[in-house]
Amino acid sequence: MMRYLLRRLAHAFFLIIGVSVLTFLFTTLAPGNYFDEMRLNPQIAPETLAALRAQYQLDQPLAIRYASWVNSVLHGEIGFSFAYNSPVAPLLLVRAKNTLLLTLTATVVAWAIALPLGVWSAERLGRLPDRVISWSTAVLLVIPDLALALGLLVLALRTGWFPAGGMASVDFKSLSSLNRIRDLARHMTLPVVALVLSTLPILVRHVRAAVADVLHAPFLLAAEGHGIPPRTLLYRYALPAAANPLVSLFGFSIGALLSGSLLIEVVMSWPGLGPFLLEAILARDIYVVIGGVLFSTIFLAAGNFLADVLLYWVDPRIRTESASR
Amino acid sequence: MRKRPGTVAHCRILFRLFIIFFALICQPTFTKAQQNNPKEESRLLSGEIGRSGGRLVVSLRGEPKTLNPVIAADARSREIIGVMQADLVHINRANQLTEPALAQSWKISPDGLAYTLVLRNGLKFSDGRPMDTDDVLFSFRVYLDENTHAPQRDLLIVGGKPIAVRKIDAQTVVFQMAKPYGAGERLFDGMAILPRHLLEKPFQEGKLGQIGSLSSAADQWAGLGPFRLKEYVAGQRLVLERNPYYWKLDSEGNHLPYLDELVFLFVPNADAQVLKFQSGETDMISQLGAENFSVLSRQQNGFTVTDAGPGLEYNFLFFNLNDLGEKASPDFERKQKWFRDVKFRQAVSSVADREAIVRLVYQGRGAAIWGLVTPGNKRWGDANLAHPERSLERARALLKEAGFSWTTGPNGESTLQDSGGKPVEFSILTSSTNADRAKMAALLQDDLKQLGMRVQVVPLEFRSLLDRVTQAKEYDACLMGIASYDADPNSDINVWLSSGGTHLWNPSQPHPATAWEAEIDGLIEEQMSARTFEQRKKLYDRAQEILAEYQPMIFLASPDILAGAKNSLGNFHPAVLEPYVLWNVERLYLKSGRENATR
Repeated sequence: MMRYLLRRLAHAFFLIIGVSVLTFLFTTLAPGNYFDEMRLNPQIAPETLAALRAQYQLDQPLAIRYASWVNSVLHGEIGFSFAYNSPVAPLLLVRAKNTLLLTLTATVVAWAIALPLGVWSAERLGRLPDRVISWSTAVLLVIPDLALALGLLVLALRTGWFPAGGMASVDFKSLSSLNRIRDLARHMTLPVVALVLSTLPILVRHVRAAVADVLHAPFLLAAEGHGIPPRTLLYRYALPAAANPLVSLFGFSIGALLSGSLLIEVVMSWPGLGPFLLEAILARDIYVVIGGVLFSTIFLAAGNFLADVLLYWVDPRIRTESASR
Repeated sequence: MRKRPGTVAHCRILFRLFIIFFALICQPTFTKAQQNNPKEESRLLSGEIGRSGGRLVVSLRGEPKTLNPVIAADARSREIIGVMQADLVHINRANQLTEPALAQSWKISPDGLAYTLVLRNGLKFSDGRPMDTDDVLFSFRVYLDENTHAPQRDLLIVGGKPIAVRKIDAQTVVFQMAKPYGAGERLFDGMAILPRHLLEKPFQEGKLGQIGSLSSAADQWAGLGPFRLKEYVAGQRLVLERNPYYWKLDSEGNHLPYLDELVFLFVPNADAQVLKFQSGETDMISQLGAENFSVLSRQQNGFTVTDAGPGLEYNFLFFNLNDLGEKASPDFERKQKWFRDVKFRQAVSSVADREAIVRLVYQGRGAAIWGLVTPGNKRWGDANLAHPERSLERARALLKEAGFSWTTGPNGESTLQDSGGKPVEFSILTSSTNADRAKMAALLQDDLKQLGMRVQVVPLEFRSLLDRVTQAKEYDACLMGIASYDADPNSDINVWLSSGGTHLWNPSQPHPATAWEAEIDGLIEEQMSARTFEQRKKLYDRAQEILAEYQPMIFLASPDILAGAKNSLGNFHPAVLEPYVLWNVERLYLKSGRENATR
């Protein structure tokens, strides 16, 4: 077990290192830098810009800049934002919290709907309820996230039931605890719905396919032949056997927690990583971009690691294979 | 309940989610002391008397980065700093003239080299600490410090030397220049006076850049502006509260500002700002695009949208006139022969349909321009500058004179060719993130097609474009826009001078590449130190005429400044100078004060 986990951890470590090198390379090699826009300010002399570039080491070779960045990562700063004139880590952390609040809620809701719906659909494979679910998920799959979010904003504006974006009312600080929760829930509803609707079809289809595969497996037919009731058959035998692909998908859901909602956040003015990273990309605030990618990679690696651990626990074949190596 | 606007209008918005005292300068006198109101000491402002109280909510397109004027480089930070800080002399955004601010009066020495400023009595920072000339001395020491890299430093180098500042007494300070400075006291606009008691230590320790982050505790930051820091929520909002020590009064002697609170909501893009305004979550909106303005003006439900007229932004086309030496390919050298020919540039200018650009790109909310002084600039436009009508015939005649000819292709299309028989083909770079300029480029492409030119429009991400144009210099032509910060010519000095970094067609020249650029350099440098407005205007007009004749920049259009506010907001008068709607923030008030305050 330990060796298996250590190997997965080593994979995750090299993945993070590899992604950091590639992100650093691509972002720094992209044309233009943060101070370029100041070139269009006729009041700022080229010498001032050169001095600013030098101050932020933009005139240094790539290797030195990478080493300097790694050093700042080791000191918990994850680089320095040119725009905010401050270390990147605290800037990202505060926004990552907002993103996680949104995506965790959406992930929980999506799985809570997808699991029973997928199982129910698999049980009725080829029948009317299954067809309705298949068509509905197909329709949801072809609607772009952007259109979903925009549609929901139109709803907000026309009905006035929900705020047109944002995370909290201006009065938030003066509200009672209960009203704060209510206010947050009102602001979260539309982005969560948009995220759930965009992830639900994939989850439902995976659950359905995994459960349907197992339902026709010989061991279940044999169990059915022994007179085990259908409910027990489904939840005690079929679901654990179908869990393997779903655990991998769950790991992927964890990995997408920081990066899966960026577009929705921008459209819905949610103060998470989305608008922050978009602005940083456009402004060439490169260490913010690299830090954002690093955060997402850590989540991806953590999601994969968690999935591996769960698989090890759920699937006896992996345990056997790992022990025999 | 508020009437809900139409779905179509929403969809249109939503679907684009992604995507002077100078007058005194003109007078033959060197003394410009203000004739102060006997009640002086706190400045009295004329205008509509408002009522105190309430909270104004406005949206900012994105998040400001700092409260520190020394390192602020982005427009949003400057907008916030503008309402939290004050300068010695201020440019009134409505009449574009200077007016006394922290300095109650100033005098200019007969030789034009020394400015003596007298501060008001009893000035206090927003933390209650008194302000005096030591704060002024400290502020300018910071701005001029080479290690601070303050963007303001370049403005404070006059005649190649930094301005020297010396204290006379607790209220009087003298600014000594190496050379007379034509723009005079405009120099002091935007130079916030910094709180020495808070910043001297970090400055001495070389840590000034790390001070003034938005997350600073409210008592760690102070200014002399109408509002002070109350609360910052990262990514969401910045709440400012009335500065109880603010020095301005209205004409009835009431303390300003009228508003108790000013809230900035951070909204990631223009269309989201419109949604917030439509839904009533914000009270005011500025920098509206023409389409959003059109949508809102059809609704006007409890709010009014205002067209303040053309601003100071000028959009223009320019050709690559850089001397690339050995780096230039034979193909580019051939193209550059056309670009260097003034008749070629005049032909392009002649065929550009500026009126169509204003009509189609700005929906009529803009002005056609033939120079970098837009109609929004009240004092510096050259009335004698020709505004020729679009003429295909004149353009053809100019090209013919320059040795170009036309051939007819197999499909009957006419192709322009140079004297060597090569077709005239080139590309125009434009910013992919600016939809207006992309449309402008497409219209220009169509205009040039009528002359037989084959033009490709290449949209590039803005910083990549800047890199191509200012660093690599690998481009044929480029469509760009610059927004002047001030109406005075000196704000565009680096566009005019051949040594300037924003002399975009051939920047940072060690020596002027052409005789006409040398002449412009001479005129601009002379006007910089000329003593009267008439002298400066005469020189500046001549420079504008040379630019219009040689067309290194083919000026196209200037958009109007479009803004909107709830009808309950008083004293809302958008200006064409930044900050467009908050320039008179101390006088903005809510007509139904309390109701709005508790919304």
